[in-house]
Amino acid sequence: MTPEIFFQTIVNGLFTGGIYALVSIGLTMIYGVMVIVNFAHGEFLMLGIYTAFWAFTLFGMDPYLTAPLAMVLIGGLGALMQRGLVHRVLDAHPLNMIVLLVGVSTLMIGLAQFFFSAEPRSIHVSYETAVLSALGLRFSIPRLVAFVSSMFLAGSLYLFLQYTRVGKAIRAVSQSREAAQLMGINVNAMYMLTFAIGTGVTAVAGTLLAPNYRMIPTMGSAYSVIAFVIVVLGTMGNFVGAFVGGLIIGVVETFAGFYLGGDVKIIASMFIFILILLFKPSGLFGRKRT
Amino acid sequence: MSSKKSTQTTQEIAKQASGTLYQKIVHFLFGSWESTQLTFSFLLVILMAVFPFFTKSPYWLGIVVLSAVYAYIGISWNIVSGLTGQLLIAHIIFIALGGYTTIVLLNTYSVSPWIGLLVGGVVAALAGVVIAFITLRYGLKMDYFALFTIALLVALRTLFLKWDYVGGAVGMWVRLKNPSFIKMVFNDKAPYLYIALLLLVIGIIIQYLIYRSKTGKFFIAIREDEDAAAALGVNTPWYKTLSVVIGAAMAGIGGGFYMMYVTFIDPTGVFNLGMNVEIVMAGPIIGGLGSLLGPILGALVNKPIAELVRGYLSEGTSGISLIVYGSFLVTSIMFMPRGLAGLLHNLYQKLSKPVSER
Repeated sequence: MTPEIFFQTIVNGLFTGGIYALVSIGLTMIYGVMVIVNFAHGEFLMLGIYTAFWAFTLFGMDPYLTAPLAMVLIGGLGALMQRGLVHRVLDAHPLNMIVLLVGVSTLMIGLAQFFFSAEPRSIHVSYETAVLSALGLRFSIPRLVAFVSSMFLAGSLYLFLQYTRVGKAIRAVSQSREAAQLMGINVNAMYMLTFAIGTGVTAVAGTLLAPNYRMIPTMGSAYSVIAFVIVVLGTMGNFVGAFVGGLIIGVVETFAGFYLGGDVKIIASMFIFILILLFKPSGLFGRKRT
Repeated sequence: MSSKKSTQTTQEIAKQASGTLYQKIVHFLFGSWESTQLTFSFLLVILMAVFPFFTKSPYWLGIVVLSAVYAYIGISWNIVSGLTGQLLIAHIIFIALGGYTTIVLLNTYSVSPWIGLLVGGVVAALAGVVIAFITLRYGLKMDYFALFTIALLVALRTLFLKWDYVGGAVGMWVRLKNPSFIKMVFNDKAPYLYIALLLLVIGIIIQYLIYRSKTGKFFIAIREDEDAAAALGVNTPWYKTLSVVIGAAMAGIGGGFYMMYVTFIDPTGVFNLGMNVEIVMAGPIIGGLGSLLGPILGALVNKPIAELVRGYLSEGTSGISLIVYGSFLVTSIMFMPRGLAGLLHNLYQKLSKPVSER
């Protein structure tokens, strides 16, 4: 591997990792606040990419412009799901929650196959193969845009959580549900908001993927699995951990793809996942073993 | 008979003994909720067994065969997740391993599937031992265990896709030429049905015996509160491993038969979470996870409804069965977390009051 290919692989890995980071941030926020592993997470990404597809096909909207639309629509759907389904099972046996979310995920895939058809679809935009050459490296324009946008969104979400009143309220709920409630925070509203943000950013990740991507209704589960890996790697519930973990897994996967071939690159992430689960289940940023 | 016999007063026993034959039979069949569930389970089995006398339609027979297999597989998951409360989500791993073992033995080494099924069960049980050992050694609980099994599913799928010995991405077929009993290949669907029902009856009996035994009580104690069970002296690692191994072995045998019946296996089809919902989870959940009757009742509701909806609604559109199974899971968790068996249990309690006063 020449230095050129080495750096090119790192760049490609970071581009992949940017999307992963965004998806994982959504998953980790939901886990951090509600201690729920959202087994239907990848399906929200799938809905995001189909939002971009339909907006493009029906109204000719540029996929990137649909990002706010997807954030609101799919995030709203996530909030409704939290209110109508997840919230009512919060105190039941954990198996009930998992079965519920697996059911929701199955239902969403089924509905997508029924209404959008199981055939692969894609969007063709004028800039889909555009390339920027700099420093001897090649940057695909759509992937560069996706990377920069996801970094921007992740950064602003971080600032939102750190410095605004609502953000602080969300973090307070994640630290202690009871204490936050005693301080006058509307815990249920924060739960809904967290689900809306968590699923909304995932849908945005979907729209960012949209140009030049063959979308199928079952694509979400691959992202779910990757996001589980990242979230465990970066400590469940840890925002920065999910961000860093996303970039790490993106790079690792791209290198694995280079050496092992694209279809088995997921083995590398699974290997890391199993090692992390076995030897440091608290993740990179965890203080104590959970 | 009721397990509470020893606690009954002599008066009651005398009353029972002097009862008419009819009363004795009723008491034997419906004396307790457990025996009632067992009775209903066998009634459903008999119903399926007489099915071929009423129709020869391969379509309907096929649905009944799959219902019976799903019921049997549902029982195997019920023991792990329903009785012991372990979040073994990707149970289909064991079905896949059993199926692959059977077909590799048949196609590569010409071993009869009758032996292949059992070897498949052993292979799946060994996988169960490994999974249980890893889980316990590294203390993976709750969500972590669920995620671990899903990661294992994805890893195994990728491995099998690349493993040419088991057919790689192309998968493996049962050669349908020269049907024979030894090769478990039949022209008609009825023999398949009776093999499936044999498995189901064995499954029902195993589940009942476990439920009634001390082991079963320990399983339930672990489900309700693992720490409390451990504090009271239950060897929780041993019983958790035992439940996974029993469930895995049963699923492995079921997987071998399932593969012989559908005659085809490939990694993307079988290491598949949607398939996992269909084969493993939907039946016990809608029927009532943790009950004896649940998996059987659930499978008999599930598969026929999914097929009917698919038959009526969709001409060439996919996704219908996923919609049906998905909405089954959601509605059952939301509106009847104890499933159909839970509803029946309530009814039984209402009806049984006057009976005991007789």
